Amino acid sequence: MSIQICGVGKKFGNFVALDNIELDIPTGELVALLGPSGCGKTTLLRIIAGMETADSGHVKFAGEEATHLHARERQVGFVFQHYALFRHMSVFENVAFGLRVKPRSERPPEAEIRRRVMDLLKLVQLDWLAERFPSQLSGGQRQRIALARALAVEPKVLLLDEPFGALDTKVRKELRRWLRRLHDEMHISSVFVTHDQEEALEVADRVVVMNQGRVEQIGTPDEVYSNPASPFVYQFLGNVNVFHSRLHGHWADVGRDVAGDGAAKTPADGEAMAFVRPHDIDIERGPVVGGLEATVQDVHAIGPLVRVELAHDSELIEVELTRERATVLELNKGQRVWLKPRQVKVFSVAEAALEEHGSGI
Amino acid sequence: MANAEPRWLRYTLTAIALAFLFLFLALPLLAVFAEAFAGGGSAFFAALADPEALSAIGLTLFIAIFVLPFNVAIGICAAWAIAKFDFRGKSLLITLIDLPFAVSPVVVGLVFLLIFGAQGLFGQWLSAHDIKIVFALPGMVLVTLFITFPFVARELIPLMQAQGKDEEEAAISLGATGWQMFLRVTLPNIKWGLLYGVILANARAMGEFGAVSVVSGHIRGQTNTLPLHVEILYNEYNAVGAFASASVLALLALVTLVAKTLVEWQMRRETEMLDTALLPEKVNQESGIPS
Repeated sequence: MSIQICGVGKKFGNFVALDNIELDIPTGELVALLGPSGCGKTTLLRIIAGMETADSGHVKFAGEEATHLHARERQVGFVFQHYALFRHMSVFENVAFGLRVKPRSERPPEAEIRRRVMDLLKLVQLDWLAERFPSQLSGGQRQRIALARALAVEPKVLLLDEPFGALDTKVRKELRRWLRRLHDEMHISSVFVTHDQEEALEVADRVVVMNQGRVEQIGTPDEVYSNPASPFVYQFLGNVNVFHSRLHGHWADVGRDVAGDGAAKTPADGEAMAFVRPHDIDIERGPVVGGLEATVQDVHAIGPLVRVELAHDSELIEVELTRERATVLELNKGQRVWLKPRQVKVFSVAEAALEEHGSGI
Repeated sequence: MANAEPRWLRYTLTAIALAFLFLFLALPLLAVFAEAFAGGGSAFFAALADPEALSAIGLTLFIAIFVLPFNVAIGICAAWAIAKFDFRGKSLLITLIDLPFAVSPVVVGLVFLLIFGAQGLFGQWLSAHDIKIVFALPGMVLVTLFITFPFVARELIPLMQAQGKDEEEAAISLGATGWQMFLRVTLPNIKWGLLYGVILANARAMGEFGAVSVVSGHIRGQTNTLPLHVEILYNEYNAVGAFASASVLALLALVTLVAKTLVEWQMRRETEMLDTALLPEKVNQESGIPS
């Protein structure tokens, strides 16, 4: 089922949690709401679920008005960050809950409930835990039970609020891949909230980057990472080096050359900022045209990458090289090198200033 | 570090605590039973079989049984409102709930006299419609309700605040009605706290003296509860009768104590379960994860 969010706004006192949000989620898509804490992503999810009411705007399910539909009637499955399993019920009863509270006329017979619950427990591969209580499970197991419970009522939309936020890294990685496969099997629309960019980029079909109650960018993981629409998105998704063109006039020029279409809207010289990812900079041992001269400060080998810290004047620049390239370059501390960017994104200072002001959380 | 203090200090402190407990708690209790049985077992049972004593016991039980359901209902409503909603005047409401603890029971009785008494606010209207509140059962029920109101609410508010509203929201999103959510999710989660509050409220309802004394009018066989009955007998120098009745109250206190301990023990067990439920995840047997 598709979800449309039209002009949704929400205030808590004087705090603007959501500011005129427009979002379309087509059927069958797995969408990530990504942003720093306090950006409004959870509020938006709760408005979709009907647990919070919007001050303005509309929520539509499959094109039909759902703004004033009670949470009970929305047929959404909701998965909480802290699982919210019913602690006094066994795993089996937790999953059966949604079926047992149905009106008598719609409630399946006991044998049918039993069969469906066991099917779901098999789906999350925890049927051997049916008689346990939530307190006897690990976090990863609890979250899978919470998912099975949400799926029991056959929701048309699955909403997940930081579903893996309380789990450790290893379990988190396994679970999110598993969620992706599950989503593909179930043919439902899913929306999940996360502040973990890696999680969003890995799992989602589309990523909605949010900041300060506004949508910064909507796009595929590749689009938002390689072609960020704003300085905020650039900085939130991965590391970035920022250059002020007044200081590095020739580099901003390079940036404009590389950025291509971005150059058209770049204002006059001295008002632009260039954003370059650490892995989009190459290091040369000898002088290159338009290259930036810098001194090697430190070289760290981190897994498959080598991170080089360089100084240009008093500014620190971070560059990531492959191990092979680093071996060829043979970099030493204090060595003078020349830097050349492969890909640069230029934003006007006005845009960047707005962002810097805005992201002061 | 608990054992860093010298041994003599630990023993002295323990001895003082035990001596205090014996002197102020155990000794009076023993004295009550000793006095009650001073005239022998038959005198004890004769004193309790007295029609006035029986009527006092019956009235005390009736008031408690009548008041407790209201306590439970109002206590849950107040705790629910405070724990699960945000609204203006919430802290005022929390303060008001404590009011019965802060006000002397005699004052409570007098206030009810002022409102419902013959010269009171509603006095004329009440007498015109032939409704008796003060110096009758309704007044005694009302003051008891007022005095015992905080127990259930006070017990439930921190419990419900700690539990949050995630489980309730989960129930609603799974299609439960408000009533189903309450019966299947909320009530099982608060049942021990609720029982604890009810036990305390019951002990207070049966033992209340001051407020009930003011509004009861002391009509023998009609508006005398057990504590009032004890006072009357004592003032009449009927020591055996007074202490026999008092021993019933003391017995009630002991039963309350045992019940309270059992419930506390259950609650601690459940809180431990809750606490482990909130522990951060450690990597342990994630064998079930498909890969």
